[in-house]
Amino acid sequence: MNTMTILIADDDPVIRKLFEKRLTNAGYQVRVAVDGMDAAQQLHTSCFDIIITDLVMPGDIGGLELLQIAKQRHPRTEVIVITAHSSIDTAVNAMKNGAVDYLEKPINFDELFLRLDKIAEVNSLVKNAGDLREAMDVTESMAAKTIQNLEITAGDLQLKIDRLETILCDASRDQQDRIDEALDVIQR
Amino acid sequence: MLKITPNEIKLITSYIYDVSGIHLDATKKYLLETRLHAVVEEYSCSSYHDLCRKARAEASKKIERKIIDAISTNETLFFRDSGPFELLKHKIFPELIDARAAKSPVLKTRLRVWSAACSTGQELYSVAIVLQELLGDLSKYSITLLGTDISDAAVAQASSGKYNKFEIERGLSKDKLSRYFTPSGGNWKIKDQIRSMANFRKINLMMPLVGMGKFDIILCRNVAIYFTLEDRKKLFNRLAQTLEPDGYLLIGSTESLTGVSPRFTPKRHLRSIFYQLK
Ligand SMILES: C[S@@+](CC[C@H](N)C(=O)[O-])C[C@H]1O[C@@H](n2cnc3c(N)ncnc32)[C@H](O)[C@@H]1O
Repeated sequence: MNTMTILIADDDPVIRKLFEKRLTNAGYQVRVAVDGMDAAQQLHTSCFDIIITDLVMPGDIGGLELLQIAKQRHPRTEVIVITAHSSIDTAVNAMKNGAVDYLEKPINFDELFLRLDKIAEVNSLVKNAGDLREAMDVTESMAAKTIQNLEITAGDLQLKIDRLETILCDASRDQQDRIDEALDVIQR
Repeated sequence: MLKITPNEIKLITSYIYDVSGIHLDATKKYLLETRLHAVVEEYSCSSYHDLCRKARAEASKKIERKIIDAISTNETLFFRDSGPFELLKHKIFPELIDARAAKSPVLKTRLRVWSAACSTGQELYSVAIVLQELLGDLSKYSITLLGTDISDAAVAQASSGKYNKFEIERGLSKDKLSRYFTPSGGNWKIKDQIRSMANFRKINLMMPLVGMGKFDIILCRNVAIYFTLEDRKKLFNRLAQTLEPDGYLLIGSTESLTGVSPRFTPKRHLRSIFYQLK
């Protein structure tokens, strides 16, 4: 049921492999990028639910830059940054800029899986809330139309009944005449 | 975020109508934007026009499925409106079972129930729970519970039988929760005993309903409200053909068939309305 797509951006091949293996085994669809530049390029052609990125990578695009690019391109994508214990401040800064969470090295995968579950949960609650609002709108406007339609139908029937009463009670007319006209009203 | 132009609204709503019968108009601009931008992103479309073109051209129908998943409103809950489930328990199931048992006393009593827009499965599982509680030992019966929906994502969730805490809180008593569900991660999963009673698959109600056989009970609730009057008329006439002559049709509590289908008559029992063929 873990259908989320995840992009791993890390210049350390050992860490990349480790992430890829653990997350794939858990059922996630995983892609890897060798650095920030590679990740940014992949964002041009693909969209991910989650990006897990190292904060420090060689080249012009580090974790913070990647975060910015990702949020600009796909506002819905959630970014988790990986940080060494010594640079928690930078991680907090990343969260101020829109990252959902940070992970400290060495990676504790149990902790990561919990956070991924939380993200999936929030996504599904957001969908539930959107559906609830939309269903309420549609149900309400359709129910209003239905009631209107029933009111008009009921009103028409009442008119018919009133008319039948007038016809049938008209003692000045021949009985057969009254019945014929009444039938006519009913069939109309 | 990519904006949708008035012309694109026409294009995309007519595309959605073609593939699902869901009728949307220009007042739903916000809905189209908020629900479709993820698909636009995923397929790197340059505009909503581009999305429509790609979706129509694509043979694998992947984009079509994504659009339907995104645009369909899957709002539902266990034992929604309670009335119909009381009705099933106290009237419809007992009557049908007596009637079917009288017809073929030797064979297992056959019952076929169809939840025609089952969304994520809560409606059909509620029916299954009612049956389980009513009949106890189900081995004497041959029961078919079919749930269908146009959304692959909804059908997949229904099949998985997994619900988040928001979904599970709605409509289920503590007692039913502990009796029929097991915790799984932060979610809940329906027990195999109930899960195995139900089958789910994808069916578009706008298409001809072929090879379905006839059902004793059809639940078609809170889906026709997304269709035009013309399509509602056609739908309920088609449903009439898949219902047993003495079968039961249940629709949503805010819906009415007056002026929609002349083939059904409304009847009342307790505080609920059900429909039967004339
Ligand atoms: C609001 S839910 C109703 C669920 C449930 N019957 C209930 O009353 O709680 C409406 C469902 O209808 C489905 N739907 C919309 N158009 C459909 C179509 N053409 N064929 C089949 N299902 C459709 C949607 O995917 C959605 O899951």
